Amino acid sequence: MTRFLIRRAAGFVLTLLAVSVVVFAVMSMLPGDPALSILGIEASPEALAAMRSQLGLDAPAPARYAAWALGALKGDFGTSYAFRVPVGGLIAERLPLTLSLALGAMAVTLVLAPGLGMAAAARHGGPGDWAVMVLSQIGIAVPAFWMSILLILLFAVRLGWLPSGGFPGWDQPLAALRALVLPVIALALVQSAVLARVTRSAALEVMRLDFVRTARATGLPRRRILWRHVLPNALIPIVTIIGMQFAAIVTGTVVIESVFSLPGLGRLLLQSIANRDLITVQALVLLFAAIVVTANFLVDLAYVAIDPRLTGRQS
Amino acid sequence: MIRVEGLSAALPQGQALRDVSLSVARGERLGLVGESGSGKSMLGLALMGMVPDAAQLSGRIALDGQDMTGATEAAWQPLRARKVAMIFQEPMTALDPLVRIGETVMEPLILHLKMRRRDARARALDLLAETGLTEPEAKMRQYPHQLSGGQRQRVLIALALACDPGVLIADEPTTALDAQIALRITDLLVRLSRDRGMALIFISHDLAAVARATERLAVMYGGDLVETGATAEVLANPRHPYTQGLIAARPRPDPAMIRKRLPVIPGTVPTLGDLPRGCRFAGRCAAELPRCAGTRPAPWPTASGQAACHLLEPAP
Amino acid sequence: MRHRASLILGAVLVGLMAAAGLVSLAWTPWPLAEIDVLNKLAAPSAAHPLGTDGLGRDLLSRLMAGAANSLSVAAGAVLLGGGIGTGLGLLASAWGGRVEEALMRLCDLSFAFPALLFAIMLAAAFGPSLLNTGLAIAFINVPIFARVARGAANQVWVRDFVLAGRAAGRGRAAISRDHIVPNIAAPLIVQATIEIATAILAEAALSYLGLGAQPPAASWGRMLAEAQTLLWVAPMQAVWPGLCITAAVLGFGLLGDGLRDWADPRLVRRQA
Repeated sequence: MTRFLIRRAAGFVLTLLAVSVVVFAVMSMLPGDPALSILGIEASPEALAAMRSQLGLDAPAPARYAAWALGALKGDFGTSYAFRVPVGGLIAERLPLTLSLALGAMAVTLVLAPGLGMAAAARHGGPGDWAVMVLSQIGIAVPAFWMSILLILLFAVRLGWLPSGGFPGWDQPLAALRALVLPVIALALVQSAVLARVTRSAALEVMRLDFVRTARATGLPRRRILWRHVLPNALIPIVTIIGMQFAAIVTGTVVIESVFSLPGLGRLLLQSIANRDLITVQALVLLFAAIVVTANFLVDLAYVAIDPRLTGRQS
Repeated sequence: MIRVEGLSAALPQGQALRDVSLSVARGERLGLVGESGSGKSMLGLALMGMVPDAAQLSGRIALDGQDMTGATEAAWQPLRARKVAMIFQEPMTALDPLVRIGETVMEPLILHLKMRRRDARARALDLLAETGLTEPEAKMRQYPHQLSGGQRQRVLIALALACDPGVLIADEPTTALDAQIALRITDLLVRLSRDRGMALIFISHDLAAVARATERLAVMYGGDLVETGATAEVLANPRHPYTQGLIAARPRPDPAMIRKRLPVIPGTVPTLGDLPRGCRFAGRCAAELPRCAGTRPAPWPTASGQAACHLLEPAP
Repeated sequence: MRHRASLILGAVLVGLMAAAGLVSLAWTPWPLAEIDVLNKLAAPSAAHPLGTDGLGRDLLSRLMAGAANSLSVAAGAVLLGGGIGTGLGLLASAWGGRVEEALMRLCDLSFAFPALLFAIMLAAAFGPSLLNTGLAIAFINVPIFARVARGAANQVWVRDFVLAGRAAGRGRAAISRDHIVPNIAAPLIVQATIEIATAILAEAALSYLGLGAQPPAASWGRMLAEAQTLLWVAPMQAVWPGLCITAAVLGFGLLGDGLRDWADPRLVRRQA
């Protein structure tokens, strides 16, 4: 078990490192001069040179990378070209909103999907199974941002129950929660469709295995067989997908924040791109990628918790 | 203990069981032999109420005096493990890989017998010890993948015995095991049956194992019960041509046989879809009569049982 | 039976969308850019079957043109990225060793970047346009196809007829071309169909964010962004483009599922 974990942890750190190099390299290759975009096209060449030196852009690339990466480790991502404030601060302000969106959507997905998938598998071939399959097939094809617009149409425009967008700030907790309901549901519905399908097919796969027959022959009630024996054995593919889905949800927030005008990391990313605020974009892309890599690492840890065969105590 | 009358099972691809009647007395050990596709496993599953959804059953099944004809899943479920239990051929995959051995054996004790965890643990330990599992205490904490095939089969037997069933159905319990281990498991099943007064239905295609384990024998072919009788009697003096072929085709360590070709039953087992209408063995039988393919033979009495063959029909 | 159904339904949806897009290249009910401010947000009528948009342009015409844009960008991007990726995968499989190891590590690394995020970044970096959106989506497809092609090719390389070819002294490139490619075509086509569905979603999202198609070009994602500002006035404006995206994505998804089961019957039970 320890060897598996050490290998995975080493892989995790190496991937993060590689990701940071790639992000830095891509950003360095992009066209555009930060000094120029800060000072404007009327700036004198001397002023531009002075600004580049102030930004540390005149150092060779490896040195710039080292400075940036070491800073990032300490939470210092440099100073935003556009806002003239530390990037770390910009991110910290917006992280809670994006994280609430992502975690909320993941939680709703985890509440909805496995139950639906298991119910469908238990009624394999029946009308309930069919309904879940058709709904999820359609759900997978619906873009999350259109789902958002439809939800706004129904709950904001028609019924007037919930706001159509905007965020009042965390100092009004109730209003803040109301503002998050529709975006969370929009993100969760699409992912639930995917997860319900995966759960169903993983469960059907397990239900054909011999030990399920043993459990039946032992007189265990159907429900107990499904939840105590089938579901845990189906968890490996399910957890794998959940890890990928968390990544998809985190990315999805970029679009969803735009639909609902929520001031989160996604909005910051789009703004920074529009402002050619490369240093902020760089930090954000690194952060998003780090979240994805971390999610995958957590999935690896979950495998160990789920399956005793992975812990290598065979002997 | 078990009484089956006129049991038939129709699958979409054909008839898996035809008009099978059989009974097993309390504590009796019955061998059920036949090739794959003979319906012996289907009969075993029918006695557990576990035939595939696609199978249409007709006929009567009575368990311990209780009529289970047409019983629903909900009616069967409480009887499984408590009245009739079953172990299967493949011990390697028959245990949930994510559940410790102890928990597996304790599950029916807690669920069915409403034992408290501590009592269930002690009982599970006794059961594992009773099946001859070495170091049962340590094995309780282990996972199935840490056990050998023979050890797993012992765990499965302990699991089947948990609620003290009146009948144990063992479907090819030794086929997947080494010869040595297979012998020991066979002997274990016989001992448990004797000690507990538990009826044993031993399903196998291995005549040596059946001879060792059982008192009475039922031979199946193509969904029909072709011959029954005392095990020793049937093996020594088979009356049905199929039983005769089966016994002749058995590999034996006989020096005289080494140079000769092993006698085989000509032809192959027909698929369910194209079984003959009359005697299922028609077409492969060396002593076939003109009426065999079209008319189903009635069971005629033999020395210790019955055999369904036109050859045994008393001359008119 | 259900797999036959998904194949047919998928083919019908894809065919419908493709036909609408193709027809739009030659003819649309109304000229695409014809602005008629006096007749904006008109209700459906005989002249305008789905009504008009905020500038009085015929909605049906724009949806058809949107199909052309969306499908061509998605298919083009998958073809381009898939082609490059397949080439890299074949290379990795044929050469093995360090080349294979390095290429596959690179693929693993690329999966650490959420696809849509990467596309947003690239599209932004090279300027918002439909072409750049397509290039960004193509880029995302490279590692996906490299991995699928390499996995499938590795299975073919050990088959007898390939071993025979190697024994006969044929070069790796020739064997790849003559024996490997035909034998891995089926999984690649299935993958491409499914990736086109993903690409349509990505293009729509990017265009919605303003990073894809630029006005006055018609794009489903762009139309949704415009419609969102009119939700209180003309809700149906936000329904049609979304339906088109969903239908196209559903179509390619079903077609891919159906093709997979058709190409590999062994998988049917697993997928059922």
